[in-house]
Amino acid sequence: MQRRWWLNLGVTVVLLLAATFSSLVLGGLIGGTANAQMLFLLAVLLIARFTDGYVWSVAASIVSVPLVNYMFTYPYFSFNLTISGYLLTFLTMLAVSLIVSVLTARIKQQEQIRLDAEREKLRANLLRAVSHDLRTPLTSIVGATGAILDNALPPEKQRELLADVNADAQWLLRMIENQLAITRIQGETAPLYTETEVVEDVLAEAAIKFQKHFPDIRVDMDLCDDILLADMDAVLIEQVVLNLLENAVYHGKRTTRIRLSAARSGRFVLVTVSDDGAGIPRDRLPRLFQAMPESGRSADAQKHMGIGLSVCLSIVRAHGGEMSAANNEQGGASVSFTLPEKENEYAGQTAGCGG
Amino acid sequence: MPVKLLVVEDEKSILKLLRTILTANKYEVVEASTGAEALSLITSHCPDLILLDLGLPDMDGNDLLSSVRKWTSTPVIVLSARTHESDKVEAIDLGADDYITKPFGASELLARIRMALRHTRTTSQNAQIARTGQFHSGGLTIDYNKYRVYVDGVDAQLTQGEYRIVALLGKYAGRVLTYDFLMKELWGPCSKGDNKILRVNMANIRRKIEKTPAQPKYIFTEVGVGYRMAEGDEP
Repeated sequence: MQRRWWLNLGVTVVLLLAATFSSLVLGGLIGGTANAQMLFLLAVLLIARFTDGYVWSVAASIVSVPLVNYMFTYPYFSFNLTISGYLLTFLTMLAVSLIVSVLTARIKQQEQIRLDAEREKLRANLLRAVSHDLRTPLTSIVGATGAILDNALPPEKQRELLADVNADAQWLLRMIENQLAITRIQGETAPLYTETEVVEDVLAEAAIKFQKHFPDIRVDMDLCDDILLADMDAVLIEQVVLNLLENAVYHGKRTTRIRLSAARSGRFVLVTVSDDGAGIPRDRLPRLFQAMPESGRSADAQKHMGIGLSVCLSIVRAHGGEMSAANNEQGGASVSFTLPEKENEYAGQTAGCGG
Repeated sequence: MPVKLLVVEDEKSILKLLRTILTANKYEVVEASTGAEALSLITSHCPDLILLDLGLPDMDGNDLLSSVRKWTSTPVIVLSARTHESDKVEAIDLGADDYITKPFGASELLARIRMALRHTRTTSQNAQIARTGQFHSGGLTIDYNKYRVYVDGVDAQLTQGEYRIVALLGKYAGRVLTYDFLMKELWGPCSKGDNKILRVNMANIRRKIEKTPAQPKYIFTEVGVGYRMAEGDEP
C-alpha cells in the first residue's frame, strides 16, 4: 500500500513537471497561454489514467490552475487574480479534470469487474465439473456404507461393498490431488519447484504405485539405453504418469497390458503410455484434453477422463512440454507427453536411442 | 509386555483410525494431539516408537522432532501429507527413522512400524556386516572385504564409485537415506545442491543389479527424498 502511494505521487509529480517544462519551451517558441492550459489539461488526464482513484488528478488540477496563472499568464511569474475569466478557467479546468478522472476510474473499475466476472465464470465451470465428478462416487459411498450399517448383510457382501467404497474414495482422493496440483501450477505464490531427475526413476515410482492398486495389469517398461534427465517437479510428473496409467485401465475397458516407455525425441524426452485396450473413440480424440465435460454426456463416460487429462496437460505445459494422444494400429491407445531434456554430463559411452 | 506407541496427531478421525488399527494389532497406544502434550508423554511414558504427524496445531512437527532427538533415539515415523514433500526430507535429516505418506494402508503402516522397531532393538545389520564382512538381501550380496557386489552369485561389475553408494545403502538397509546425506557421505561436505551425479550413478547401478527397473527388488527410489536398500536377511 505504501509503495502504491509513492508510485502515485511520483507519477503525478513527473507528469506535472513535464507539463511545466514543455509549456516553458513551447511558450518561449510560440508564446501564449492557451498552449500551457492545454498541456496541463493533458497532464491531468494522464494522471487520472495512471494513478489509483481520482484524488491525484483532482490534486493535480488544483495545483495546475494557479501554476498556469503564475507562470504562463501575463504578468509572468506573479499571480494575477484579476485577469478576466480567471475564475472561469479555474472552474473549467477543475471540472474537466474531475469528469475525466471519474470517467477513467469508472472504466478501470469496469475492466476489473469484467476480469473478475470472467475468472468467476471459469471458477464456477470448474467447480461445476468437479462437483459433478464428485457426486457419483460420493453417492455410492453413502449408499454402500448405509447398507452395511443398516442391514445384516452377509460378510462377503459387506466386503464387496467396502472394496467399492475403498475404490471410490481412492478415486476422490486422486481427484482432489489433481485439483491441488492445478492450484499449485496456477498459484502465483508458489512457482513450480523443479529439480533435475532421472526420468526412469519417476516412471518406475509411478508404475510401482499403480501396481499396488492394479496388481492384475501387466506394466512393461521400455527404457532408453541412455539415462535421460529432465528438470521437473517430480511429484507432479509422477501424478501425470499415474493419471495416464489409470486412464489406460478405466478407458481401455479390456486393458491387460500397458507399455510405459521413455525415449529421446530431438531435444525432448518422450514418455508414452500405450495400452492394449479398446482405444479412444474417434470423435473424442480432437477434444480429449479439454477440461469441461460436455453437457449431454453421461456422468459415467466422463467420470475419469476430462479433468484428469486436462490437469496432465497443464502440468506438462508448465514444464515446457506437450501432450498428444492416438490410437495404435494394432489396437489400444497411446498417450504421450514430452519434457525438455536436460544434458547429462555424466553420460557413459552407452548407445543412443531415438524416438 | 506389549509394545507402546505414541501417536501424535491432531485430526480426530485419523487418530481414531490409527488407534483402531494399532490396538487391533496388539500395540499399546498413547495419544497426543498437540506438540506440548507429546513432549510430556514422551518423558512420562517412554514409548517404544513415536508416530508423528508433521502438521500440529501448536508447533512445527520438525521442531518437536529435533528437540526429541536431543535426548532420545526412540524411533520416530513421520506421517506426512503429500503436499509437504520438503517437510519430510527435513524430518529424515533431523533424525526421523522413516516416513509414511497419507493416505496409507494399514498393512503398509504396520510393516513400517515393525521395520523401525527392528532397527533399534538390534543393530543387526551393522553387526552382521562387522562379523561376516557381508550383507545379504535375497539374491544380493555386498562383500565389504572384496569391495564387490554380487547378484545371484554373479559379480555385478560395479565401478568403484557405484560400489561405494551400494555399500553405504547396505549399512543402513531398510532406512531411507536422503540425497543430502548420501552426497555428504560420498562426495564430502563441500558437495552442495547438485545431486545429479548421484542420480545418474544410481540409474546405472539399477541397470546392473535389478532385472526389471519397474519392479526393483533391492534398491528403492523414494522420489524427491532419496534411496532405500531392501532389508537384510535375518542371520
